[in-house]
Amino acid sequence: MKRFISPVALLILIFLSFIELSAIGLPESDTASAPPWSKPEWLDSSEAPTVLLRVSDSSPAQALSWSWNAPLNFAITGHLRGELVWKTPEKDFTLAKTASETALDINGNDMSFKRALGERPFASLPGVLFPTTGEYELSLTGSGDVTFRVDGGRWGWLGADQRGRDVASLFVRGVSVSLIVGLSATLIATLLGTSLGLLSGYAGGVLDSLIMRAVDVLLSIPTLPILMVMAGILGKSLVTLVLILSLFSWMGTARMVRAVAMSLRDAPWVENLRALGAKRSYIIFRHLLPEATPLLLANIALGVPGVILAEAGLSFLGLSDPRLPSWGRMLHEAHTYGAFTKGAWWMILPPGFGIAAVCLIFMDIGRRLEEMSDPRLKSS
Amino acid sequence: MIFRRIGGAALVLLIVVALNFFLFRVMPGDPLSGMMDPKLSAEAKDKIRAMWGLDKPLGEQFFIYVGQMATFNFGMSMTTQRPVWDELRSRVPNTVALLLPALLLSAALGIYLGVKAAVARGSLTEKLVIWSGAVSFSVPSFFVQIVLLMCFAYTLPLFPLRGSSSIPPPVGATAVFDYLWHLSLPLISLVALSFGGWALYIRNMMVKTLGEDYILMAVARGLPKGRVVWNHAFRSILPPVLTMLLLSLPGVVSGAVLTETVFSLNGAGSLLLEAVNSHNYPVAQAAFYIMALLTVLCNLLADLLCALADPRVRLGGEQA
Repeated sequence: MKRFISPVALLILIFLSFIELSAIGLPESDTASAPPWSKPEWLDSSEAPTVLLRVSDSSPAQALSWSWNAPLNFAITGHLRGELVWKTPEKDFTLAKTASETALDINGNDMSFKRALGERPFASLPGVLFPTTGEYELSLTGSGDVTFRVDGGRWGWLGADQRGRDVASLFVRGVSVSLIVGLSATLIATLLGTSLGLLSGYAGGVLDSLIMRAVDVLLSIPTLPILMVMAGILGKSLVTLVLILSLFSWMGTARMVRAVAMSLRDAPWVENLRALGAKRSYIIFRHLLPEATPLLLANIALGVPGVILAEAGLSFLGLSDPRLPSWGRMLHEAHTYGAFTKGAWWMILPPGFGIAAVCLIFMDIGRRLEEMSDPRLKSS
Repeated sequence: MIFRRIGGAALVLLIVVALNFFLFRVMPGDPLSGMMDPKLSAEAKDKIRAMWGLDKPLGEQFFIYVGQMATFNFGMSMTTQRPVWDELRSRVPNTVALLLPALLLSAALGIYLGVKAAVARGSLTEKLVIWSGAVSFSVPSFFVQIVLLMCFAYTLPLFPLRGSSSIPPPVGATAVFDYLWHLSLPLISLVALSFGGWALYIRNMMVKTLGEDYILMAVARGLPKGRVVWNHAFRSILPPVLTMLLLSLPGVVSGAVLTETVFSLNGAGSLLLEAVNSHNYPVAQAAFYIMALLTVLCNLLADLLCALADPRVRLGGEQA
């Protein structure tokens, strides 16, 4: 049973990275759908939740049973031809009445709206519209499509961030960024490392010492500072990020492939192939590469965590595309906007555990692939 | 042998300098175009270019640049108009004060726990070692640090939230205490995050070594257990441990940038980030160069220690 955990978890992550957010009941990740810093819905049931009531031609009335204090604020958006009525246990309010199709964009703090309802400009409208606990109803007569958003302190599965975006949506969007960056950068790096390693190990000579020198140098330079400098100069797009990450993670693969190639170069059967007149490219691609493939697969899986951590580190430093919601970016925003001074742990824990989980999954898969290619590792 | 190692270190530094030089020049336009008023006349622009030495051929520029790097002449900061070296000089000691104890403490703790885990297979220590090893390779350091900050600096106010010293900075002996107090949470977090990797590595090597015949022989001779473990088994894995120290250095320096950012420490890493964010290229280049220099110097030191610890390397070197 245990050996299915990480492959199944990986499949779930791949599924999540392809799914539409609306299909799992989440709002879009780039719109503010709740008040900033909203708590997760399940956290504190004494606080008013954020509720969306939507009335349209097909469902002209929405009921709401309210058992909290007055909410923070509310907003009404959409379009309406007719009348929008808010029934409270005490009194009915006509929120809007239009003779022709009109776009609505009303905020609960708008003074003209307070006047239209017959309230003083300093009155607190949420308190007026939610005077007590009990059954409320929003109804529409005529035609239109209106959303009545009641802003409470709670929202969704994982709350909202400093801009009121849904953290669960951001988290799901972050899955794809991590997987895309991790897998594509590792693949490119493996391709680079394999070709250089094969070249170095099989050809030998000056080329070999040149490539190995380059590996030594790159391995002894701190990577994150140079990635920062490059990201600062070359720009913050995802493609640039993948390219510079792969440019600095091929060294381990090259060393490993070189070792395999060198051990096989002088093996009797390869010598026989040469004696039979096999071309160098034929030996490399038809014999050496297949020999190295199982190890390479394990190497890819084991390389992904490093790349994902590097990407997360760069994004955490603010050196990633700001429009792209990645887990590192979420932590960057949580840190710069002081999430922990607001006690907003829901902005910190999900991305952090997400990164750790993806890394553990790939490490586990890599270890298994390694055991498959070298059964001696299993016994220990 | 020593000369060859020093030559290798110099090569790495030269490549870092070349990287710095060319990265700076692959930007669209030339490095000054962002600084210059586009309304300036062509003559004035040429004059400014000449002032910065950008009118000379690329090879000569590179030669001059290498000389400047070797003498720590990094030019002026684009934002503060002060010499870059002045800004760096106050920052580098903070980075060293964080990294050196972190490295030594985590290595010491890792070695102790790793050896203990290898001796007592199946014990609680071994489980701790295996798990902390997995954690140190998969959990992002800055995430753990933010959580620590949230728990032990904000919720439980035991440690300061940010900075390298209190504001206003205390004077006299309290200043030292204050500095150490600000350093303690970053240091603890770094040690807690990195000892696991060490411990796991040491444990794996010790398990193999303890299975060797000469260990059995030493036990059969009736030597005390501690002596067998430390003087016989651990002594023989010391060279690869030092090699690992060598290989872990770039990662440690990379971690400094993140740690300094999380805890808002005034180190070279946070200077690099500020410089990159404000497109202050002279400072960014200098900070990167200094960090690479630190890595290379520590590398060289570890290399020499390695030679001291491993007679084979030492003797082989003397013969060559």
